[in-house]
Amino acid sequence: MDVRAQVSMVFHLDKCIGCHTCSIACKNVWTDRAGAEYMWWNNVETKPGTGFPTLWEDQNHYKGGWTWKAKGNGKGRLQLRSQNKFDSFIKLFYNPNQPGLEDYYEPWTYKYQDLFDAPEGDDQPTAIPISQITGEPMDINAGPNWDDDLSGSPLYAENDLNLDALSEEEREQLFEIERLSMMYLPRICNHCANPSCVASCPSGALYKRGEDGIVLIDQEICKGWRACVAACPYKKIYYNWKTGKSEKCILCYPKLETGQIPNCFHSCVGRIRYLGVLLYDADRVAEAMQVPDHALVESQRSVILNPFDQAVIEAAKASGISEEFLYAAQNSPVYKYVMDWKVALPLHIEYRTMPMLFYVPPLLPVMGKLENGIYEHKSEAFFSTLEKSRLPIKFLAKLFAAGNESQVEAAVRKLMAVRYYRRSVDMDDIDVVEISKVMREGKTTPKEADEIYALTAIPTIDQRFVLPPIQREEVIGGGHCSPEACKGCTGLGTPVAIERGP
Amino acid sequence: MPALDNFFLIALPYLAVVICLVGSYYRIKTRPMTYSALSSQFLESKGLMWGSLPWHIGIITIIAAHFIAFLVPGLWQALLSNQTVLLFVEAAGLGLSLLCLFGLAALLLRRFTSEKVQSVTSQMDLVVLLVLLLQVALGAHIAVSLSWGALWSVGTTVPYLWSLLSFTPDLSMVQDLPLAVKAHIVLAWVLILLVPFSRLIHMFAVPLEYIGRPWQNVVWVSDRRKEAAPQAFVEGEARRYFVKGGLAAVFGLSLLSVGVFDKIFRFFFGPRLTAHQETELMTTRLSRLEATSSQRKLELERQENDYILVGSLAELNSERGKYFIDYTMMPALAFKTAEGLPLLISAKCTHLGCTVGADAVDGKILCPCHISYFSIDTGMPNADSPAKTPLPHLGWVLMDTRGNQLVSYSGKGAVKGTLSEAQRASARVYIAKAHQIG
Repeated sequence: MDVRAQVSMVFHLDKCIGCHTCSIACKNVWTDRAGAEYMWWNNVETKPGTGFPTLWEDQNHYKGGWTWKAKGNGKGRLQLRSQNKFDSFIKLFYNPNQPGLEDYYEPWTYKYQDLFDAPEGDDQPTAIPISQITGEPMDINAGPNWDDDLSGSPLYAENDLNLDALSEEEREQLFEIERLSMMYLPRICNHCANPSCVASCPSGALYKRGEDGIVLIDQEICKGWRACVAACPYKKIYYNWKTGKSEKCILCYPKLETGQIPNCFHSCVGRIRYLGVLLYDADRVAEAMQVPDHALVESQRSVILNPFDQAVIEAAKASGISEEFLYAAQNSPVYKYVMDWKVALPLHIEYRTMPMLFYVPPLLPVMGKLENGIYEHKSEAFFSTLEKSRLPIKFLAKLFAAGNESQVEAAVRKLMAVRYYRRSVDMDDIDVVEISKVMREGKTTPKEADEIYALTAIPTIDQRFVLPPIQREEVIGGGHCSPEACKGCTGLGTPVAIERGP
Repeated sequence: MPALDNFFLIALPYLAVVICLVGSYYRIKTRPMTYSALSSQFLESKGLMWGSLPWHIGIITIIAAHFIAFLVPGLWQALLSNQTVLLFVEAAGLGLSLLCLFGLAALLLRRFTSEKVQSVTSQMDLVVLLVLLLQVALGAHIAVSLSWGALWSVGTTVPYLWSLLSFTPDLSMVQDLPLAVKAHIVLAWVLILLVPFSRLIHMFAVPLEYIGRPWQNVVWVSDRRKEAAPQAFVEGEARRYFVKGGLAAVFGLSLLSVGVFDKIFRFFFGPRLTAHQETELMTTRLSRLEATSSQRKLELERQENDYILVGSLAELNSERGKYFIDYTMMPALAFKTAEGLPLLISAKCTHLGCTVGADAVDGKILCPCHISYFSIDTGMPNADSPAKTPLPHLGWVLMDTRGNQLVSYSGKGAVKGTLSEAQRASARVYIAKAHQIG
């Protein structure tokens, strides 16, 4: 057993209001540079919708992630869908699976100087949009969240690939004007445990940090072959057209290393984000990803280890995990959501990269009923049944459980039970028999429901973010020499000029 | 114009290769952020496909063929001795160069037509594209106008390149070539020169190590892991070294086998001699064998004699030694001492075996190879000379004209016998078999 620690995340989608504050908090710090304008290490998508880059989930086109086919003896072999050892060489010259600028959008700014320099005239001067790449005037045809809130749109929402599982009738219902619904899906790098981007990198520039599992690109080793851009099924690696190197979400590791909360987490208005440590068995990762689609969620859980188990603690110490990390793992909110309550699920685990970012699926949206010309909220209307849900379980299962509806159903039923239970505690307007029936269906207890409620609705910042001490000082000081002696007045890092080759 | 030739065909190559290697190393080490393939597929994809794919496939094959001709000219020539193969190689070369030209044209076109690509185009990019265009066009022109270049290059440019590589530059094979060929060679050196200053540096980034490396790449920032699980860490490192060493061994062995295969191939499939050439060859071999055997015969004859004549005593002096060959076929020198007796000393330097000079200045002879002075009286070298052991003295025998032994010296000990003035005039110096052998 090779125990590794992973800084993991939970996004509680029921609480996401789609405000994009996380995206802006990230952009302003990390990607506000030439060549990186179009990058959104953190972005928020409207689902159903086509996402960013457009139709990123279409692996027939982008060929990201791993494939696995069961063989006669039950075991097959994980293969990169493209970018294997040999075809990646011919793709160095031209890669047909690469997303281009047109799949994202052409970044633009406005010619603000015109507002000041315009000659006197009858019309108000305007600032026309100009491309941030060429500097020429341009028409804006796409943007980072171009299909924001456009559920029901035949151009965007209807092309969502996750709707393939739905029957014609269900699709019609989903987009019926009075029933129209949508959800938000904030996405950052999943910092996968079986990353296909790392596997595909010809130069070996991508790596997973052993201590905390953060996946990074060494900018000095990267040669810009862009294999990772194609191989990442989530399209969370971006090519910097100016420097000729690829970049990705770094989980704000400079902040984590100094005990601070990553930007997108800290700025989240809906407080939907949780961050904590998971322990997992690195020896079993590849094996766990070699099961049929419907078993993947359960298989991933089997790799995640219980930080209270004495055997795990022993093995963790033998693998070099510090007491402080273990403590963080034992108090991890992520472990509670993913393993204790099993209400947080991975996004598109069928790509088999074993993503370590988990989503609590959204509950059925509250629905007003038009009666006698006025909207009225009745208590039974708060909780329509699962069968009548506006966002079909099939759709959620495509997103969060590789099509396994029972996983999503179990999570949603438990979340509903918590809601019923808490309403009965606060308002006392639901029949006790019904409560106990819902609680049984949700496989939960009043104690657990209270815990879920507490961590979901009224957590403190210290409960949401249980940061492990990454002990950077240990590395800097670590027996070799003191930072003052080693680095002199340059401090703790060596500055490297960001420049493009001639 | 020999001065121009010397500059462009000798000085420029060395300059270009040194600048390419040193400059590239310096850029990769000190400015790693500039070391990238600098792909612009992200900004413009379709034109790149029509440009980059034909260009790279064409140029890599052509360069590989150039390299094979350079590295194993024998094998290359043997292959091409088959006319069908030669025809195929020539046609393929021309076809590939046209493919390259097409690719380059497409690449240039997109540099000029796409605004987005222009925003990442440097002046150096255009220089590189134009030089490449010119170079490939020259190559295609040579392929058409001076056909069978695959074959004639083996006798012209290949020896030239090898002479450069062995630091004995020799232009005799290339200086009379047509201007187009010379220009093709010079442009190749210019391109090599441009490598560290342009995007051409990406050719060093070919990720061959990707084939052998494990899928996942985990980096430990701190030493905690190493300390907690030293065994696992050592095993992991050992595995990595094993893979690297294995790759290096495979590469070395394949190079070696290319060399061996070259010989084997030439033995079985190489050019066949005509009857006339074969006869000539055998005659040459026979005359060489005869020379060797007569030499050997002479040596044997020498060793059968009990005495070998060095010269008359009268012709020896103390200033300038007389060279002779002793029984072991080694050079030696004969001098005369102040007493009028011969002095025979080995002329094989005890340092590295050079032949020592014959002139004795102040009674010392000089080995010119590493400046060792040896005293002829004692044989001792100078204190600070590289030779450390003395030159040995040889024994001698003085005989009169009738072959009567007058005086002898065995190389050690005292001189036996005396010499009268009358005998001195006619005495002859011999070396004796008994003194040197047995």
